[in-house]
Amino acid sequence: MTELDSYAVRTESVSKTFQQEAEEIHAVRDVSLTITPGEFTALAGPSGSGKTTLLNLIGGLTRPTAGEIWVAGHELSELSNADLAQLRLKQVGFIFQAYNLLPVLTALENAEFPMLLQGTAADERSSRVRELFARTGMTGLEDRKPGKLSGGQQQRVAVIRAVASRPALVLADEPTANLDSASSEALLELMEEFNRTLGVTFVFATHDARVMERSRRLVKMVDGAIASDEIQ
Amino acid sequence: MAQQTSLHIGVILSLALRNLKRNARRTALTFSALFIGGALLIFALWFGDGTHEQWIDAGVRTGSGHVTIEKPGFRVSQKIADRLVESTHPPVMAALATPEIADQVQTVFSRFNVSGLASSAAAARPALIVGVDPTVESALTQIDDQVIDGRYLEPDDRLAAYVGVGLADGLDLRLGSRLVLTAQDTSDDITGQLVRVVGVFETGIPAVDQAMIYVTHGLVGEWLGSGRDVTSISVMVEDSYGVPRLVRQLRQLLAEPIASGSATVTGWTEAMPELYAAVLVDEWGSYVIFVVLFVIIGFGIVNTVLMSVLHRHREFGVIQALGLTPRQTGAIVFIEGILLTGAGAIVGVAVGGLLTWLFMRNGVDMTVLMGDTDYEFAGVVLDPIMIPLFRPARVVQAIVSILMIGVMASIYPAVRAATVDIAESMKFDR
Repeated sequence: MTELDSYAVRTESVSKTFQQEAEEIHAVRDVSLTITPGEFTALAGPSGSGKTTLLNLIGGLTRPTAGEIWVAGHELSELSNADLAQLRLKQVGFIFQAYNLLPVLTALENAEFPMLLQGTAADERSSRVRELFARTGMTGLEDRKPGKLSGGQQQRVAVIRAVASRPALVLADEPTANLDSASSEALLELMEEFNRTLGVTFVFATHDARVMERSRRLVKMVDGAIASDEIQ
Repeated sequence: MAQQTSLHIGVILSLALRNLKRNARRTALTFSALFIGGALLIFALWFGDGTHEQWIDAGVRTGSGHVTIEKPGFRVSQKIADRLVESTHPPVMAALATPEIADQVQTVFSRFNVSGLASSAAAARPALIVGVDPTVESALTQIDDQVIDGRYLEPDDRLAAYVGVGLADGLDLRLGSRLVLTAQDTSDDITGQLVRVVGVFETGIPAVDQAMIYVTHGLVGEWLGSGRDVTSISVMVEDSYGVPRLVRQLRQLLAEPIASGSATVTGWTEAMPELYAAVLVDEWGSYVIFVVLFVIIGFGIVNTVLMSVLHRHREFGVIQALGLTPRQTGAIVFIEGILLTGAGAIVGVAVGGLLTWLFMRNGVDMTVLMGDTDYEFAGVVLDPIMIPLFRPARVVQAIVSILMIGVMASIYPAVRAATVDIAESMKFDR
């Protein structure tokens, strides 16, 4: 195993500053963090603590003002926007607070979408997604458009979409924020199962106590900086 | 990092189609604007082509044909010395009889135009005397139908003159009246010829009615000593679009007489520059209207596609987060615009074609606008019944024009979609 293979994510002195009118906002300050493959890690903190921004930086959705980020062996600042898209397509799955399913696609098509872009064969796509639908109690809902699914169902589809293409890393931004307790518990169990059985690395941005309790590593952020980093 | 070479065309196309379907009302409205624009465009193009072809046809029949063969300089000098002598006729007729030319030719006719003086007991007026073959001329032009008194010329007429109404009035001529035609003959002498009025015509074009006198070729030959010489041999074809090719072919076949300076080949655009200018002015006037129409439609497309993009800001962020590149994201929007305009163009052209077909047989009667008076334009009396002309090239032209509008109108929304800030787009909670 090379040094690059020994971590899923590594950040070195990463900072992100936004300009808001005349004011400079330091969303992330000098963050250095290493996440090894298979971790189930939560980035916790109050609103404005910088956890979502850090998640976006790791996912290559935005670029840092300073510092370096490695994901799956690639230093993100060296990649073009198109290369970043390819990295996300092949290595990173996303789960968003607002589910963000594509409204013109059915539940099944949404879940298959990253694999469709990867060029996975139709049979393989269908078989993987249907199996995950079965495991998550979603069988029978494959042909429904997102508007015809409950919040919990939509988020399950989003989780399936994130893991079905078998990425090395899943970045989940407040995945339980819009769900009731039962749905949140069910979703967390599902993600734990995927982490355990598929070996997918999960990194959450959350302020949900249930997510923090279940995560095996808790990184607390305050004012854009890491305040504590504990293995639970 | 290895670049993904696949453009995910299938995915992009599928998303574009589904997005068009999702906003069905918006799509339908834009599609309607496009197809109505397309239908109007093709109808107007074919209608304009038909009208112009009618102008050209009317002009070249009374004028110099679609293509005319003359001696160089005759068009300017109008002198008898610049005539096509009989010895030049065989190579011209041989060229016109070659298979590649004969297939295009509808009618061949010759005329002998000479400027002279027409004198009666009452007065004298300058006149353009035209020697014709009455049979060919009556089949070619409507001059025989424009008789208002007496009759048209007959092949056996010897001293007969068919006189414009304005000239007849000016010379105080009636049927059977005698007048003397005076012009320069082939020996450069001024010579006169007594003729008798057999008919009076009215074309509605003052310049023609006040100056023209038709006589037979035989009369001119005897009077001026020109025998079977003519001043022009002219050709009528089915469609004026074929004229440039025919001119090129004839110039090749008649290279020798052209090189020796005994003949020249001229298309109608050169021979009748006023008519050509009138057609061009009308055509470009129409194009200006089309451009204005399509700029308005173009803004409609920009508005529709851009609205759609702004409403889907978050979606574009999501699909880029999931692995679509910015360029591919822009392609979705661009293809939406192209699909919309392409479908609008095809349906519009089909509907416009159907509309045109309905008018193909009987045309559109413009007497409502023009009244009963003759309308003259560039020396041609216009037929109030305007009949469209089907030209396949216009289909391609119309579809390509609309697609170009679609391409231009889709670029900006596509760029907006491609350059979306992914992280920012996720912040919106719609």
